[in-house]
Amino acid sequence: MSRFAEPMVRLIDELKKLPGIGGKTAQRLAFHILRTNDDDAEALAAAVRDVKANLRLCSICNNITDIDPCVYCISATRNQRLVCVVEEPTNIAAIEKTQHFNGVYHVLHGSISPLHGIGPEQLRISNLLRRVDDGQVDEVILATNPTVEGEATATYLSGQLRRAGLRVTRIAMGIPVGSDIEYADEITMLKSIEGRREL
Amino acid sequence: MVLKESEAIVLRTYPLREADLLVTLFTRAEGKVDGVARSAKKSRRRFGGALEPLTYVRAHYEDRERRELARLDSCEVLESPLASEVTYARAVALAHVAELLDELLPDREPNDAVFRLALAVLSGLRGPDLWLPITYLELWMTRLMGYLPELSECMTCGRTLNGSRAFYHALADGLVCIDDKRLASSEISAESRVLAARMLRAPLESFAGAPWPEAQAADLRKFLIQTLQRHIEKKLVTAGMLEKGGF
Ligand SMILES: [Zn+2]
Ligand SMILES: [Zn+2]
Repeated sequence: MSRFAEPMVRLIDELKKLPGIGGKTAQRLAFHILRTNDDDAEALAAAVRDVKANLRLCSICNNITDIDPCVYCISATRNQRLVCVVEEPTNIAAIEKTQHFNGVYHVLHGSISPLHGIGPEQLRISNLLRRVDDGQVDEVILATNPTVEGEATATYLSGQLRRAGLRVTRIAMGIPVGSDIEYADEITMLKSIEGRREL
Repeated sequence: MVLKESEAIVLRTYPLREADLLVTLFTRAEGKVDGVARSAKKSRRRFGGALEPLTYVRAHYEDRERRELARLDSCEVLESPLASEVTYARAVALAHVAELLDELLPDREPNDAVFRLALAVLSGLRGPDLWLPITYLELWMTRLMGYLPELSECMTCGRTLNGSRAFYHALADGLVCIDDKRLASSEISAESRVLAARMLRAPLESFAGAPWPEAQAADLRKFLIQTLQRHIEKKLVTAGMLEKGGF
């Protein structure tokens, strides 16, 4: 027999499905929700429902959005001919933080991952190729992760994107700012030297 | 607790809690070891690129009392797969090495022959050649795990298969002659059997240089993968990816 009433057990079970939430944390969250006032609990439930009902993928760039096309793809102040390719929608926020990128995005929703059976055909690539083929793009920046999987994805895409007049670039890899060269591992150091630039 | 040191090959990593990584290492000293790299996702300083799958490292780790998982203290890169260009084909081949080692090796059992094989195959996979190192790996892993049957005689009647046709079946061990073959058997060519015999006698480097198209020894690889899958009783994801191709 469970120690909790059935609705409580149900809530705990649902919370446990979230990433990084174990049994203990789920219990704590469930009791927190039980103690909050009705409005807050209702707002949480509504927010969960809304996310599923109102969010979809941008038909141009695959970003998660409530309007289609998304805010980046309809922006008149952004350079629509400069496309930065990322693995996940959350990567966009990291690039936006710099306030130095004024182009638009393309989200793959993953990377090539052979151990999980994920090849290029499982990624969202076709609408990127369409944009390029329609002559809407001057440069594609490949900003997939600096991992074996991210590199494989970038190399594959660069092959698919080979077109006359299209520039395809890869973000630089190397020593993190504020760190010490002494602590850089062999491969990070090698990549920084490969990616050096003229001053 | 004593801090242990061993050469190792990183096989897989899985996210664990907020910032940690669960890392499966194939260590030279102790075989396959699972360890936790604390804060590896947040702070790249201690591990950097050392935890990328198929990186050859010098690992420092310690066992913790009454816990299965070791604590991974640090890893020094000896050779990274990111040092050469990572194409889609190479990524699949590297993942195949990781999957074979992870699925076939028992926990905490050193195996120096397999370790040396893995290093030779990783170095073979630095270049654009794919099918030679993969064939060599599959053949030798089957042999070193004790799953490789005699390739020169019929399992049923004992007749020599050298110079004659040979067949295998997905559900049975070994090769048989034309008289003993069952329905729905596949054939393995005499050339592929000769090649296998040569590969069992010579190091991987001695085959480098000659071109090795995908079709070469494809029947041997199919036979080896079927043999391995029958023993581990599961499908190898990367074998399916290799077969599908599209590189
Ligand atoms: Zn968009
Ligand atoms: Zn026979």
